[in-house]
Amino acid sequence: MRPILVLLRKDFTNFFRNKAAVSLTFIVPFAMIWLFGVIFGVNKKDSGPNGIPLAVVNASDNPAAATLVAALQAEKSFYVYTKFVNPDKSTRPLTEADLRSMMQAPDADFRFALVIPPDVVSETTFGLHLKIFSNPRNEIETQTVNGMLQKTIFTTVPQLLGQSLQARAKNFLGDSRFKQFNGTIAAAVSDAFGADKDQVQRDLEAGDFGFGQITGPTQPADRSLRRLDAPKDPTSNAPPTSVAQPAVAPATTGAVDALSRIVRLETIQVVGADVKSPFATSIVGGWAIQFLLFALSASATSLFRERDAGIFQRLLAAPVTRAHILWSKFLYGVILGIVQLMVLFVAGRILFGIEVEKHFVLLVLVCTFAAAACTSFGMLLAALSPNAEAAQGLATFLIMIMSSLGGAWFPITLMPVFIQQFSKLTLVYWSMEGFSAVLWAGQSFFQLLPILGILGGITVLVMSIAVWRFNRGKIFG
Amino acid sequence: MLQLRSVTKRFGTIIALDDVSLDIARGEFFGLLGPNGAGKSTLMSLVAGLRAADAGTLHLDGAPLTAANAASRTSLGLVPQHIALYPELNADENLRIFGALYGLRGADLRDRINTALTAVQLADRRRDPVKNFSGGMQRRLNLVAALLHRPKLLLCDEPTVGVDPQSRNAIFEYLQALNRDGLTIIYSTHYMEEATRLCSRIGIIDHGKILALGTLEELLTRLPFEEEIRFPATAATAPLAVELAALGELATADGSHRFRPHIDCKLSAFYARAESHAVPGRLFTSQRPTLEAVFLHLTGRTLRE
Ligand SMILES: Nc1ncnc2c1ncn2[C@@H]1O[C@H](COP(=O)(O)OP(=O)(O)OP(=O)(O)O)[C@@H](O)[C@H]1O
Ligand SMILES: [Mg+2]
Repeated sequence: MRPILVLLRKDFTNFFRNKAAVSLTFIVPFAMIWLFGVIFGVNKKDSGPNGIPLAVVNASDNPAAATLVAALQAEKSFYVYTKFVNPDKSTRPLTEADLRSMMQAPDADFRFALVIPPDVVSETTFGLHLKIFSNPRNEIETQTVNGMLQKTIFTTVPQLLGQSLQARAKNFLGDSRFKQFNGTIAAAVSDAFGADKDQVQRDLEAGDFGFGQITGPTQPADRSLRRLDAPKDPTSNAPPTSVAQPAVAPATTGAVDALSRIVRLETIQVVGADVKSPFATSIVGGWAIQFLLFALSASATSLFRERDAGIFQRLLAAPVTRAHILWSKFLYGVILGIVQLMVLFVAGRILFGIEVEKHFVLLVLVCTFAAAACTSFGMLLAALSPNAEAAQGLATFLIMIMSSLGGAWFPITLMPVFIQQFSKLTLVYWSMEGFSAVLWAGQSFFQLLPILGILGGITVLVMSIAVWRFNRGKIFG
Repeated sequence: MLQLRSVTKRFGTIIALDDVSLDIARGEFFGLLGPNGAGKSTLMSLVAGLRAADAGTLHLDGAPLTAANAASRTSLGLVPQHIALYPELNADENLRIFGALYGLRGADLRDRINTALTAVQLADRRRDPVKNFSGGMQRRLNLVAALLHRPKLLLCDEPTVGVDPQSRNAIFEYLQALNRDGLTIIYSTHYMEEATRLCSRIGIIDHGKILALGTLEELLTRLPFEEEIRFPATAATAPLAVELAALGELATADGSHRFRPHIDCKLSAFYARAESHAVPGRLFTSQRPTLEAVFLHLTGRTLRE
């Protein structure tokens, strides 16, 4: 045991002598956490994309189309362009032809565009005719934009769908039978609800199925669903012509309310309801573990430096065994790892108010097990690689894979199911589980045991392989 | 003290040590002389327990030397061929670590470190990181780092590579003083001058085999003789010259013969002929025989090849 402690002290003396290592441990984590926080907008109330440039061409005179444009302008995920700026700074509405040429320019202002053609509602086809132009350079972004557009369209202008239905029915039934059909419905409605029969018939023909009149005055139960019809910001860049017309606006509001009546989503937070900085809490763990993997695989490769310096010869000629050398390195890695993780969490505490002090002891415990698992990973790399460069290369590759698979980059539920199975094979996944069990779910020691057991098991397994490889590998040769 | 019996060590197809047997007595200053790749470091590493022999046995004071035998390692000190120090740490810290690994601590360790640093003239640089030391200073520290625990047997693997003559002298004198105080030393080198100056007994090693073993004098008598012998070309020496022509290469110029013997011509054979022709030994002039010549004689190569 004594040689291990001597070597451990040596490693720490070396560590504090090395300014780069010290700053990497104590200063860089702060900078990194802060930077990530800014990039991911941790301290904002709302998460999600912000201001994706979107060009909108409205070639339709359907009033609902103007409503849609206004709604898109109100949607904060988009930054909407509707004007073409001439060289003399005068503007005119964008046209479809503009889009094609503008989007092909290498420095295009936008990579997505929505065209509302004159035949947005036609008599010959069912549904809405809209065109989305895209330069899908980024698959995830494209998906996001498509999703956002669909959401906006369907929650803003359901009457367009109604119009589409009506137009199709008119085409199918013929003019007179169609009028007769609407008239019958209108008569039934006015009989049952006492409304004016002619008004109902006109509404039906306009595609307005009356959601607005039925539910208009009622506020939806969940305020968060009202975001889309929130009052428009007067300072926004919306051109005056596209401001929602009063005749349409109530219907829109009502329609959204109606949807929220039909599908009434009530989100009740079951876990972590009292966590102060939820987003930061859930992702700091992922960054921390990835950072730690890099730091520790670098420290494990110091084994190569010592080998190359011939120091092992001197050590092994003394009453020091290979096991002493390996376990001193392991212990060094674990201690360094705990310190580094705690520094990261303290940085999270200071910058984002993550509540580390509330579960301090358990957090240290999870950090210990996570650090041990990460260190064993570094040791295995050193055991498998012929030299420090190879180990570093392999480390970078494997850490990237483990971090993405393990959920440090984005939630694993976004990945295909068969890949999710591999997530559970990574120490990144289990370390993050441990952190969130403590910081997010506030679990007790006994509830933590399975996760600690898995991390401990990973450590034992990986270290066994590493020690076995070290004993036959080249590092002590 | 140290016994090697039929020790063989292979690295793949390379036979680094080939059936080596060797006895080192207590108090010896034993020189291991051989060119690059001869197997000197390999032999040292086997004795130090860094590697296991493929065949044969090694014993120190009757106890087998194996990697598992930690006790015997405290009576050994290894000065590795390459500087084996922590470059970021200072001289003091390096010595404290290596001393502590041998179980030394406290005032005792401090005293020993002071003595060691003074002995190699590094006391005033003890707080400087080793990476800032000159090559010679690192060599000297590399040496004393193996001595703190006062081993009985010191293995010095080419400890003077890259050291200027002055530092080299300091190292020699230090080692000689230690040897006088009873330390047994095995000293590997490919400088015959070092072996000549320091060692009470020398083993010449090449291609993993010990080719010759003995004191300097013993080794020199194995030599046919020096590369060149001159004697006056007179009527009295003429019959000898005729006979010598068969034993080597004879040239005559400016009234003197210059004789370069063949490699298998023994010094004793030469003197026997001289005697039979009644040519007195004082007529011969020659260079003093050297280990270099011994090595050349044994291997047909020079040490530096
Ligand atoms: N770890 C190793 N792996 C493979 N071959 C080795 C190893 N160590 C030594 N050898 C080989 O064994 C032979 C003896 O090497 P060794 O280092 O003992 O020579 P040496 O006498 O110390 O030479 P030098 O004067 O250059 O230090 C050489 O052919 C060398 O290539
Ligand atoms: Mg050598």
